[in-house]
Amino acid sequence: MRGVHTLLIIYAILLIVGLTVPGMWQPVAFLMFYVALGQAFNIFLGLTGYVDFGYVAFLALGSYGMAIAMDSLYQTGLGAAILPIGLLLAALMSIMLSLAVGAVALRLRGAYFAIATIGVNEGFRYLIEGARLWGGSEGIIITGAMRKIFGREMANFISTMVADVLVFGIGLLAALTTYVIIHKRMGYALMAIREDEDAARVMGINVTKYKIMAFITSAFFAGLIGASAWTLKMTYVFPSDVFLITYTVEAIVIVMLGGAGTLLGPVVGGITYGLLKYYLSVILPGFQLLILAPLLVAIVVAFPEGIVGYLKERVRGTRFEGYIL
Amino acid sequence: MLKVTGLESGYGTMQVLWGVDVEVEKGTITTILGPNGAGKTTLLKSIMGIVSPWKGKVEFNGEDVTYLPPHRKVEKGMTLVLEGRHLFPYMSVEENLRLGAYTKRAEEKIEESLELVYQLFPVLEERAKQKVGTMSGGEQQMVAIARAIMASPEIVLMDEPSQGLAPKIVAEVFDTILKLKEEGLTILLVEQNVYASLEISDYGYVLHEGMVALKGTVDEIIESEEVRKAYVGV
Repeated sequence: MRGVHTLLIIYAILLIVGLTVPGMWQPVAFLMFYVALGQAFNIFLGLTGYVDFGYVAFLALGSYGMAIAMDSLYQTGLGAAILPIGLLLAALMSIMLSLAVGAVALRLRGAYFAIATIGVNEGFRYLIEGARLWGGSEGIIITGAMRKIFGREMANFISTMVADVLVFGIGLLAALTTYVIIHKRMGYALMAIREDEDAARVMGINVTKYKIMAFITSAFFAGLIGASAWTLKMTYVFPSDVFLITYTVEAIVIVMLGGAGTLLGPVVGGITYGLLKYYLSVILPGFQLLILAPLLVAIVVAFPEGIVGYLKERVRGTRFEGYIL
Repeated sequence: MLKVTGLESGYGTMQVLWGVDVEVEKGTITTILGPNGAGKTTLLKSIMGIVSPWKGKVEFNGEDVTYLPPHRKVEKGMTLVLEGRHLFPYMSVEENLRLGAYTKRAEEKIEESLELVYQLFPVLEERAKQKVGTMSGGEQQMVAIARAIMASPEIVLMDEPSQGLAPKIVAEVFDTILKLKEEGLTILLVEQNVYASLEISDYGYVLHEGMVALKGTVDEIIESEEVRKAYVGV
């Protein structure tokens, strides 16, 4: 449980800084998005060792799920109940996609899986744009729908506050899920699969089942993040925004930076990455990516197991063991 | 105990096994010999279900298990020691062993199995906390075999356990395989090390281009002209 304590403390500090220091809520929300993204992705990348290059598609479908719910239900008089319905639809759509992708692509291993998943993201985006699905390239704008459902004041509050709180909660839930998985049968199975899939099979582990379970869980959280951090916050969805491969790359960086498969890794990775990105663009506007990239390379070279992975090794056998998980 | 009939299998469109019949009796050591590319590893993998059989039948304790996935076969009491050991190098000996008892069937007997394994391989108990990656090749092979025993199997398939080991260590590995037989386990062994493996075996098969070229008791195998020429080299 001590690992969870460390996690909760970091979350509490973030929340307190965001709520009490004036002007800090948006920067904290910015960090929280990366933390949540990392937590969700860690359940798949960290625990199975498989790299999904189409991960952003789950966030994208989640954001569409919320937008579709708002856009098609705002006249029904369901009122505030549309928000949970939207989250549910978001989760459902991401899960459906993960089942479809997982059933096909998870038969592949390593680099073959990674390459196959790149296509999912791009394919889905062009499908939406080309087939004029869900508004095609014009996307779905729900600014008006949200005002009609919640009223102007409340709609603003949802975009500036509720959406961020939701992301915060989803990130925390994803982290707690990771903790539970790690300590269950499923965690041992995934650990064996990550280290050596062939060995896992002859040990009697149903590798397909556990890989798909991790994939679905990860996609579920991704869908919720997309629905909250993008649709509710921006009040619109454009395919060119939500299918950006940049987010997948950022998710990979965060998980690797923090320590793949660790509980605290995505939190540390998300905050480190978010801070670097934010402050480098303030200090050196225009040059931030030029600095960020070599900096990230340097960190990964220094800590090949991620920051948390490195710390975990260092505290082994000391009284801090267990606090870093 | 294990009966393979007319097994055909391969990779993609390339057929490797062309109708293999193998029978393994309970409590014996059976060795499959054959040159490189004869299909020995493919045979073990097809029996285990890691490579899907195309045709034929695999029966275990009288039950048709041909198309069961590997994890179900482990539940039923079969296991495979993979070629090249496939251990978890960053985990300790004990962690490797405990993970080996993953199935429900094995978990129930985990302490019993651990005791048996430590009795068979006393060196592993001494090294229980050592990371497997830092051990010698021979010791790692012991861990690999021990991990398979942790799955509490009735039959253990072994793919070239002597591979890459010094002759003295090879003898040790074969000694432990013999000990497993004395514990009541059934062993199906694939080997290139003809002499050493036949010494401990009861039955032998010679695989050639995906078919059984010769089968019989160890004495029959050793005495046969072809084997002497082709594989024993005397």
